[in-house]
Amino acid sequence: MSNLQLAPLSNLPVLPVVVSLLFAVLLILGHGRLRYQRAVGAAGVLAALVADLILFTTVLREGPLVYRAGDWPAPYGILFVADRLNVLLVLVAGVVGAITFWFAVRSLDEARQRAFFYPLFHVQLAGVYGAFLTGDLFNLFVFYEVTLLASFVLLTLGGERFQLQEGLKYVIINTLSSAFFLVGVAILYRTLGTVNMADLAVKVASAPDQGWLLVIAVVFVVVFGLKAAIFPLYFWLPYSYPTAPTAIAGLFAALLSKVGIYSLFRVFTLIFVAQVSVTHHGLFLVLASFTMVLGVLGPVAQMDFKRILAFHIVSQIGYMLMGLGFYTPVALAGGIYHIVHNMVIKTGLFLTAGATEEVTGTSHLERMSGLLRSHPVLAAVFFMSGLSLAGMPPFSGFFSKLALMVGGLQAGGYLVVAISVAVSFLTLFSMIKIWRYVYWGPDRGERRLDARATSPLVWPAAALLLISVGMGLGASFVFDYSYATALELMDPARYVAAVLGPQAAAVLAHAGL
Amino acid sequence: MLPTVLTLPFVAAGLVALFGHRAGSKLASVALAVPLAIFAWLVAQVGALPPGGLVWSHGWIEELGLALSFRLDGWSLLFALLIAGIGTLVLWYSRFYLGPDEDHSKFVLYLLLFMGSMLGVVFAENLLVLYMFWELTSISSFLLIGYWHEREASREGALKALVITVIGGFAMLVGLLLLSLSAGTLSVRELALKASEIQAHPFYPWIVGLILAGAFTKSAQVPFHIWLPSAMEAPTPVSAYLHSATMVKAGLYLVGRLSLVLGGTAAWTYPVVVVGLLTMLVGSYTALRQRDLKALLAYSTVSQLGFIMAALGLGTPGALGAAAFHLFNHATFKGALFLVVGIVDHETGTRDLAKLGGLRRAMPWSAAFMTLSALSLAGVPLLSGFISKELIFTSLVEAGSLMGGLAWLLPGVATVASLLTALYSFVLFHEVFDGQARGTTPRPAREASPALLLSPGLLTAVAVLVGLGPHLVTGSLIDPAASALAGQPVEIHAALWHGVNAPFLMSATALVGALAFYPARHRLRALLERLTTRWTAERAYQAFLNGLMGLAQRVTDRHMTGRLADYLLYILIAFVVLVGGTVLANGGFALRPLDLASPTVVELVLLAAMVAGTLFVVRTRSGLAAIITLGVVGYSVVLLWVHWQAPDLALTQLVVESVSVVLLLLAFVHFPKLERKPVAAGRRRLNLAVAVLSGAMVSWLSIRANGTQLFEPISQYFIENSLPLGGGRNIVNVILVDFRGLDTLGEITVLSIAALGVYMLVGSRIRRTRREAAERQEGEGL
Repeated sequence: MSNLQLAPLSNLPVLPVVVSLLFAVLLILGHGRLRYQRAVGAAGVLAALVADLILFTTVLREGPLVYRAGDWPAPYGILFVADRLNVLLVLVAGVVGAITFWFAVRSLDEARQRAFFYPLFHVQLAGVYGAFLTGDLFNLFVFYEVTLLASFVLLTLGGERFQLQEGLKYVIINTLSSAFFLVGVAILYRTLGTVNMADLAVKVASAPDQGWLLVIAVVFVVVFGLKAAIFPLYFWLPYSYPTAPTAIAGLFAALLSKVGIYSLFRVFTLIFVAQVSVTHHGLFLVLASFTMVLGVLGPVAQMDFKRILAFHIVSQIGYMLMGLGFYTPVALAGGIYHIVHNMVIKTGLFLTAGATEEVTGTSHLERMSGLLRSHPVLAAVFFMSGLSLAGMPPFSGFFSKLALMVGGLQAGGYLVVAISVAVSFLTLFSMIKIWRYVYWGPDRGERRLDARATSPLVWPAAALLLISVGMGLGASFVFDYSYATALELMDPARYVAAVLGPQAAAVLAHAGL
Repeated sequence: MLPTVLTLPFVAAGLVALFGHRAGSKLASVALAVPLAIFAWLVAQVGALPPGGLVWSHGWIEELGLALSFRLDGWSLLFALLIAGIGTLVLWYSRFYLGPDEDHSKFVLYLLLFMGSMLGVVFAENLLVLYMFWELTSISSFLLIGYWHEREASREGALKALVITVIGGFAMLVGLLLLSLSAGTLSVRELALKASEIQAHPFYPWIVGLILAGAFTKSAQVPFHIWLPSAMEAPTPVSAYLHSATMVKAGLYLVGRLSLVLGGTAAWTYPVVVVGLLTMLVGSYTALRQRDLKALLAYSTVSQLGFIMAALGLGTPGALGAAAFHLFNHATFKGALFLVVGIVDHETGTRDLAKLGGLRRAMPWSAAFMTLSALSLAGVPLLSGFISKELIFTSLVEAGSLMGGLAWLLPGVATVASLLTALYSFVLFHEVFDGQARGTTPRPAREASPALLLSPGLLTAVAVLVGLGPHLVTGSLIDPAASALAGQPVEIHAALWHGVNAPFLMSATALVGALAFYPARHRLRALLERLTTRWTAERAYQAFLNGLMGLAQRVTDRHMTGRLADYLLYILIAFVVLVGGTVLANGGFALRPLDLASPTVVELVLLAAMVAGTLFVVRTRSGLAAIITLGVVGYSVVLLWVHWQAPDLALTQLVVESVSVVLLLLAFVHFPKLERKPVAAGRRRLNLAVAVLSGAMVSWLSIRANGTQLFEPISQYFIENSLPLGGGRNIVNVILVDFRGLDTLGEITVLSIAALGVYMLVGSRIRRTRREAAERQEGEGL
């Protein structure tokens, strides 16, 4: 047991949220002016990215940081806690956000750009940053609401009839999820008398009524599972994302479900770890298997480019949950690796789909053909991104899945690993389906943009692909980081000590955690 | 040096991807410098390898068993020479084979990628690294088969090859990971030291099965062979290179490589030998049935791969040497055959045996190369195929001698298959080149340019030279390869004449039988047609694809209905089942006395009002009534707050309820009429049950939580510090603006965003109305 000490106080953990909100306000004040929106919006995205980077390097150098809102001491006030897990996700969210922003500037119609797209974009980022960084369960709920509202307005931006139809389903189901969240927080607060995550960890570890706590834990599985879009709670996702313009769908793909899966990783490594054989080895692995399988059958059946990708968000979440389910350092590292990999490559694929749609005017596979000949760079970017998603070497997806498989086999989860392998095959199959229809075949069909005019739209996706390639060739760095993070997660006493001090952490040690 | 050699093709591929399109059709002749240089380096290593091979190693990700380690030993060197050597010839050939307006840069790019990947497979010392390159060969093969992707058949062939080899690849990956789990390493060398430990491990049968699945799919063994004939849609140089000389031999490479680790047991030997010989037999008689020259060669390749596989499976030093030798010979003569068929196709416009004939006069060089290579394939003495085939026969006879009454089985099957092989080999040159010119080809036949003839010529020359003087390669190449596999020095006895023994009799039987049957080959073919259950593997593949698509479609359509009511129902069911199930498993729903406080009359009355109001909202058909009743429910909650002496909450709720009701009423004019769609009675009952159960669930959770206060709540701190530290007497206010001010910031953001959303929706509605009005006016104006 090393590093059992209080983390230094710092304002850094809240910086990404503050920067994003600040720029959102600036953007609202200057709405309607296109150049202002783009310039200030870009400045905001970059400023947030710089904040993310500073936070990331500082935590890497100095260990966890704690920010106390209003300087109220833990566990009474709201805390932001930056540790290895969430600063990584914050950084990747910042990078993916910046690249998506770049794509949005180039692809989104001017009416939407002029309206409130940019401020909403920043609020969305702020909400995600907040959800990643907060160390307070009720505050997490608040940031869930921020992301939900921002995403709902972004989803319906433009007010087309089909957008409103899907948006309504989206918001109603997510409101139900908020209601469950409130129920969960309420019964947890009543039972344990606190909402600070570290404090919750201490109290859960020392509480007598473990059966009841398990019930509360399962309520939170439903809450976060709805956000993460796992089985059997994912129905709202696959058809709603594709109705938004690509830049927005890409952003959602990168961030929203990841907030849910992050929350599961956070809460089920820190707070609810007393009955791992039931929650993790039992519930999560079963749900993960179903999520992978049902999520991948959609893409096999679908003939719409963006819907295939949206379904794959679900199937890939299954892999992440699988890593949490095995709850070994290697598997957990695989899960973390997979989250990061997926944030990057799934967004890249969405942007590729968007660029392709700009060229062909459709996202229906059967109405496209032969883009390899007319748009070779776009085709190459798709092909490699698709391989990465399917987990083919040497791209990042191979290494994250490899870690998941190794971890799974070590833990004796042969069936789950077998399922994950079959799902990898079907993922590849669906990517190849897109490739055969859209990029191979005779060069025919509509071409709204020639190859040269398309390249500004391809670069953002290519940049994301490059990151995926980098995370593949540099797999040892990413894996080592994820592995060290996994070890940290599996030792919740460290987090508790960082927030509440070594005495509180001793309670955990006493409880055998 | 190994990493440099390995990266060279990839660097070259990168350059080709960036600048290749500028070079036009000359690209291939520039790019062949890469394999040529590698070939030269490899040749320099022949006879100069240190014992144990040339090793380069670097750590990578220890926890996953990954290490960047490579080794060049005899077995790898044999393959690497074929990859680089035939790669050079094929690049040269394709520069003239592809038309000037074809996309040379993509072709060369894919070919270089393949070359690098294949070298990676044979250089890798860590099996996971081998796997990574293995999958890359599948991908580059996919791209090359689909090179002419405008054609439906190319796309289908590419898909089939990918599906089958990738499924095998994934199986193999799992097998490798199990291997790693049972031995603690994935280094081939270290694994070999732990062979007995691995073979005693309970995973052993799984490891063998899964790894062989990878090897068999890659090397087109029955029943996975069906992808190889379809892969013939690729340009012929690709078929010669990937689908005959190198990639399809990766499975053989792996089986050979692992024979020290996994071999020597019945679980390994039987499947490999049986599948190998079966593949040989199926391949040879199916080849005989083909009328398309490339299809014939494809099945011939299947058959020969099976032959070598069986020899590897036997695993004796002699058999391994024979396998290595035959593998080398097959790569050369089969490469030559493919390239000549490519020339015939190129010059005459057809590969159909029915249209070809008597080309000898017009194409003398092609005829000579085809004849010599085909005779080598048939196993005619003085050519390379004869010698290596004899050696495998020898091993089969030896193995058979251990099988008692079944001693004849292995040699017998091999002899029959060899007879059929000889038969179709004769067809290859006799039907195409002999006899009268028939003039039925799309283009009049003429000899190809010397440039195009160079590659098959060189390969044929190798077959002839090795046939005349096997010692040219056996001592320097084949023996080291076999020694690397056997883990002990192996010396094969390649000679033109061993005397009249069993192997010689087998060869003689095959050749004489083939000559005897040759005039009756058409009848034999007809007989085979009737005998065989055709395309069962092919049907299975199609059924698999169709079944998969159908299943995916049905499952998806069934639950992704697009209806909100369905989704909500599923989610609530999930909630009830998951949470309810956990409750049942942890003590059940029984509430303890302290959970239940007796409610006051006021509370009961308000509760009744709320329940009645909610029921009414659900039942009513009038939107107006629903809004007002919702208000009633809300005000009842306000009264509850008042009753519980929480004035802040009561006031807030009062404002919220009032504003909501007023706004809803104002907006009511614009609401569509509430319509009820008829719902099936069963579904109604389900809805009702789920609604009641989830409501009950939440109620139970609240009551249970209320009675389970395990710790002192933090609210005491707020009560104590609200005034001294927060400076306010109203605790709720201090909590909102100070203690938990960040929450409030978030909620303010939420409200602002909601306001923005409403503003934009209204705005877009106004714009739409204006636009429509303008359009109407325009319409009237006209």
